[in-house]
Amino acid sequence: MKSKLLIIGSLIALSPLLYSFCGFYVSKADGTLKNKTSQVILVRDGNKTVITMYNDYKGDTKDFAMVVPVPVVLRKDDIHVVDQSIFQRLNDYSAPRLVEYWDQNPCEASFEEDKMYAATAKSALSESVVRGNGYKKDLGVKIEAKYLVGEYDILILSAKESGGLKEWLTTNGYKIPEGAEEVLNPYIKSNLKFFVVKVNEAEKKKLPGNFLRPLQISFNSPKFMLAIRLGMANADGDQDLIVYAFTRKGRIECTNYRNVNIPTGKNVPLFVQKNFSAFYGNLFDKQWNNEDKSVGFLEYAWDVSPASYYHCDPCIATAPSEQDLVQSGVWWLKDKDWNDYSDVDNTAPDNGSKNVHFTRLHFRYNRNSFAQDLMFQVTPNTETFQARYIITHPATGNFTCDAGKKYLQDLKRRRRNELLELTSLTGKNIDTWQEDASAKNDEEDVADAQYANLIPQVKEEMERETNNFPAGILLISAVMLGSAGFLRWKGFV
Amino acid sequence: MQFNLFKDARYFQIIFQSVFLAYGIFYLHWNAEWWMYGTYFGISLTTQFLCSVIFNKDITKLFSVSWWKKLQTSIPSVLISSFGLSLLLKTNHWYIAALAAVISIASKYIIRINGKHIFNPSALGIVATLFFTGDAWISPGQWGSNIVILFTVLCLGFIVTTKVQKLDVSLAFLGTFAALLFTRQIIYQGWPMDFFVQSISTGSLLLFSFFMITDPKTTPNHTVARIIWSMGVAAVAFYLTTFKFMNGAPIWVLVFAQPLVPLLDKLFKAKTFDWKPSKQLTPKESSFLRSVYTHAVM
Repeated sequence: MKSKLLIIGSLIALSPLLYSFCGFYVSKADGTLKNKTSQVILVRDGNKTVITMYNDYKGDTKDFAMVVPVPVVLRKDDIHVVDQSIFQRLNDYSAPRLVEYWDQNPCEASFEEDKMYAATAKSALSESVVRGNGYKKDLGVKIEAKYLVGEYDILILSAKESGGLKEWLTTNGYKIPEGAEEVLNPYIKSNLKFFVVKVNEAEKKKLPGNFLRPLQISFNSPKFMLAIRLGMANADGDQDLIVYAFTRKGRIECTNYRNVNIPTGKNVPLFVQKNFSAFYGNLFDKQWNNEDKSVGFLEYAWDVSPASYYHCDPCIATAPSEQDLVQSGVWWLKDKDWNDYSDVDNTAPDNGSKNVHFTRLHFRYNRNSFAQDLMFQVTPNTETFQARYIITHPATGNFTCDAGKKYLQDLKRRRRNELLELTSLTGKNIDTWQEDASAKNDEEDVADAQYANLIPQVKEEMERETNNFPAGILLISAVMLGSAGFLRWKGFV
Repeated sequence: MQFNLFKDARYFQIIFQSVFLAYGIFYLHWNAEWWMYGTYFGISLTTQFLCSVIFNKDITKLFSVSWWKKLQTSIPSVLISSFGLSLLLKTNHWYIAALAAVISIASKYIIRINGKHIFNPSALGIVATLFFTGDAWISPGQWGSNIVILFTVLCLGFIVTTKVQKLDVSLAFLGTFAALLFTRQIIYQGWPMDFFVQSISTGSLLLFSFFMITDPKTTPNHTVARIIWSMGVAAVAFYLTTFKFMNGAPIWVLVFAQPLVPLLDKLFKAKTFDWKPSKQLTPKESSFLRSVYTHAVM
């Protein structure tokens, strides 16, 4: 399963990505709990939620164990395993994208239309090791249900107090990660149940391949949330979480953290193409720090209803098919007979609407910035959004005509702006790009406007510019103080 | 028109609300929907104009100088309502925005008891639009939970509310809400302190406490009634937020609690008891207060 679940690669390169969606891995052996970007599919309509959790566990399956808090005791019908390729398709489709345009040489008449195609940031995920094992015995902990689903043995526990639950887990061979304890009690008091998973070796052997399939659970509850706090327990740093959400009405948004659109539609230098993943990784780092970390970033939002054909501009991968959506848990599309997915709940109410809205949110959380679990709401917001960055290839040929000379001037100006944009988006010093810029030297026709030559100029320009931010703060403070003084003078305060 | 910025607390409100809107758009990077703000302001002002024509009692005074003066003095209230909508209600459609603006302003003329309007215009506009169209939404997370916001809002809110002597409403509401949350989250559930701090420093909650529930026109006149009423709003809002997972519960509760105000005013009128001995006001202060009391603040 070294196969490529393709995800915004740069993120993997840049941060120690530890795994955990809404649960934590418990381990028996003293293995290092190492995880990475987690991915979750959320499907929500009315009070019904379907959560699909990507399983990127790569160690010995004997040692795998996982705990997920859930609001209700799940029935066996509520738990399924799904094909893991669905995550790859959703990610490919909704990932931040780079689009290419080609300039026309103004000196050569041409009726050819602008070509355009897209690239997406891709990179294989890195390895992770997790261990876990064992259960049984009673200690004030009630086993509400016990199922075998696919290759998983599943227990649903309820507990009266955290001490009992902790002891139960410990005596049954689970090692509770440092720090997980502080949230066990609040979860018990919030009436959450604990969905405890381990691998059934006999069932596992029947399956081809050495990977674990994603688990999909569905339940009815007014709570629309992801319990990330438990997941922070075994993570000693920032963790990335990608949420793919499907609703009937419109976008989802987080209700207890700010929602911010990642900057989009920006013109960036041509050489970004060479390492778009690194570019996006830097951009995300910068924006995340800028927005004070406690935010969720919107990376994609679109109506992906099977009836609608226009899903992106440009599309970087095939749109999820109706079958993909049904498999992701979009139960209201389920009236066709997808012979394989008879497990999708047919009894759920259907108002006849087949609309599907896709939202992709990207969180990077840690214990300090995210004190609370993620709470969500479905909004009727149907506005489309995609993280999209634009590169433009220069025209080629001879630029001796007047229009050609003007074009070269414009190109220089445009490229200066692209460099400035790059710096402001990624927060990286302009010198960082010198090497990348110099490497791309196949542009003899526009030698004068090469990025490598422009960087020193741009740098000089930037140094001249004073930093506006403190100036703004000073100005605002001055105005406030002035008004306060005025009020005082007039005797109103 | 005699334009005296500091004689009318509504101008404070307008200044603070525009600061908040600018903060949201330029600092918190909201998706600024200029067309939506334009619709709120444009339609609100138009509605106000039309209503003052339609509900004009003396036909001979229509478009007279005094009529225009009266219309002019109502403009700050309209701006406050429009800002209230801009800060809270989001939609994808201009006609939904227009509907919210019409409901807000027209409700002041249509739904009245004893010559006083019952509902806080923007709160009613928001709730009615959410309820009837399903095409609008509020974003409780839009302010984040930042301690800096907490202090700014507290300071600004303090100035406004002390000016209109309704700080008791804010404190009773916020105090009750915080105490209930603290009991539930820290004492009962055992969450760490920062969990509670995040709940209570949410910008939406603070703005509600200092700028929406405080509207002197739609809160009971008697201090005791006012405090009981705010605590009731807080308790119900806490219940809906915590146990029913309702978003924006305080606004909904406020709208449903406002019809109780005339009733409370009636019940508590006979009581002469007042905790606060009435102090002697300077002419400046009393004219200031009069201007505040005679206009809807938000």
